[in-house]
Amino acid sequence: MNIHRSWKLNGNRVAVSVPPGRRLLDLLRDDLRLTGAKEGCGEGECGACTVLLDGDPVASCLLLAAQVPDGAEILTIEGVERTRLGRVIQQAYIDAGAVQCGFCIPGMVLSSYALLKRNPSPSTAQIKTALAGNLCRCTGYVKIVKAVRLAARRAKGATP
Amino acid sequence: MTCPAETASYLFPKTLREALALQADPATRGKILAGGTDLMAQWAAGVPVPPRILVLRGLRELESIRILRDEIEIGTGVTHALIRDCAEIRPHLPALVAASSSVGATQIQAVGTLAGNAANASPAGDTAPALLVTGGRVRLASASGVREVPLTAFWTGYRQIAARPDEIITHFLLPKRGRARERFRKIGTRRAQAISKIMAASRIRILPDRTVESAAIALGSVAPTAIRLDSVEALLTGKKLTPALINKAEALASDSVTPIADIRSTAEYRRWIAGRLVRDALESLL
Repeated sequence: MNIHRSWKLNGNRVAVSVPPGRRLLDLLRDDLRLTGAKEGCGEGECGACTVLLDGDPVASCLLLAAQVPDGAEILTIEGVERTRLGRVIQQAYIDAGAVQCGFCIPGMVLSSYALLKRNPSPSTAQIKTALAGNLCRCTGYVKIVKAVRLAARRAKGATP
Repeated sequence: MTCPAETASYLFPKTLREALALQADPATRGKILAGGTDLMAQWAAGVPVPPRILVLRGLRELESIRILRDEIEIGTGVTHALIRDCAEIRPHLPALVAASSSVGATQIQAVGTLAGNAANASPAGDTAPALLVTGGRVRLASASGVREVPLTAFWTGYRQIAARPDEIITHFLLPKRGRARERFRKIGTRRAQAISKIMAASRIRILPDRTVESAAIALGSVAPTAIRLDSVEALLTGKKLTPALINKAEALASDSVTPIADIRSTAEYRRWIAGRLVRDALESLL
């Protein structure tokens, strides 16, 4: 028996009918065709499946879609890239050379977005803590941390 | 792709009363899923999915933290993120706040719950040592009533807890630290997202003349459950905290644990670091 939920997904009202054991990640990718969230490990370790639930990064591979209550706000990379702050972060990642294969980047950008929404001037330590649940296997994290600092500088003072 | 969790049937009680009624009957009883961050990872890794799952997320009545006169009451739906960010509890339970802040990373903290961490009963559960040193209690409810179990009697064996199958954890009741000082340390391969090699929590009160008035020290990942170091606590209590006493406490801590070797660490390292963590807790008081 399917469970019915209605959320605000990337700014739009959506009503879904979902099998109760379905992961949020599968609902997003397979049913709603939002393929920005990636399945890396499938065990909540890598952060590639990160989406924002009411502003907080969550691992969508560990969350049943039916666990997300009515009225919740879900933001995926497809929604964040339509916001001004989201575009600033994306451009900063490009300009800082923080992107290699790109698989981890939607999750990285979402964790960066959640951080900068809450804390527009994070310290390097705060950036590292905010991104600790997002693993990148191409490079290191130096350029990624640089990108977030660049995004913070560019976003400051600008109107949304 | 199909997640193994899709094979189960799910119950979504809207109130605690409804949940307790479902758990009272073996025919409707389900495995309790709160945040699900442990269970979903286990099922993805091949642990069999139970046939029925009771989803407890979203019960408002169990999602609050209350500051009482001498203790803090934490509801079963409270997430690590709420404990991490709740400014009112930080002065009273700093070790627990540190432990919740060290679980996984922000993605896990936003969803995982304190009660889930306790009920999962992994010897490597980060919050168990911090809970143990409070000397607090767990409140368990069933359709037939409510009882409280001391945390020191809650973990009864490897992945086993004192709750009966019909019982649900509703609250933790954790005495404030008062004038004692707390410390939490976690040793792992990486600070985030790595299951711990060993954790230590302590709640120790020393008087201005450095006499140890009371000491509670707990370790995780050195035994089938998190444990209090009773012998070390007894050694310290009533004595002046001197370098010689700290040496003795370190040696006794290493001698009194019998950890295993596994994929995360060796028995020798765990025994050595157990002593070092006790030293660290004591030296931080000087």
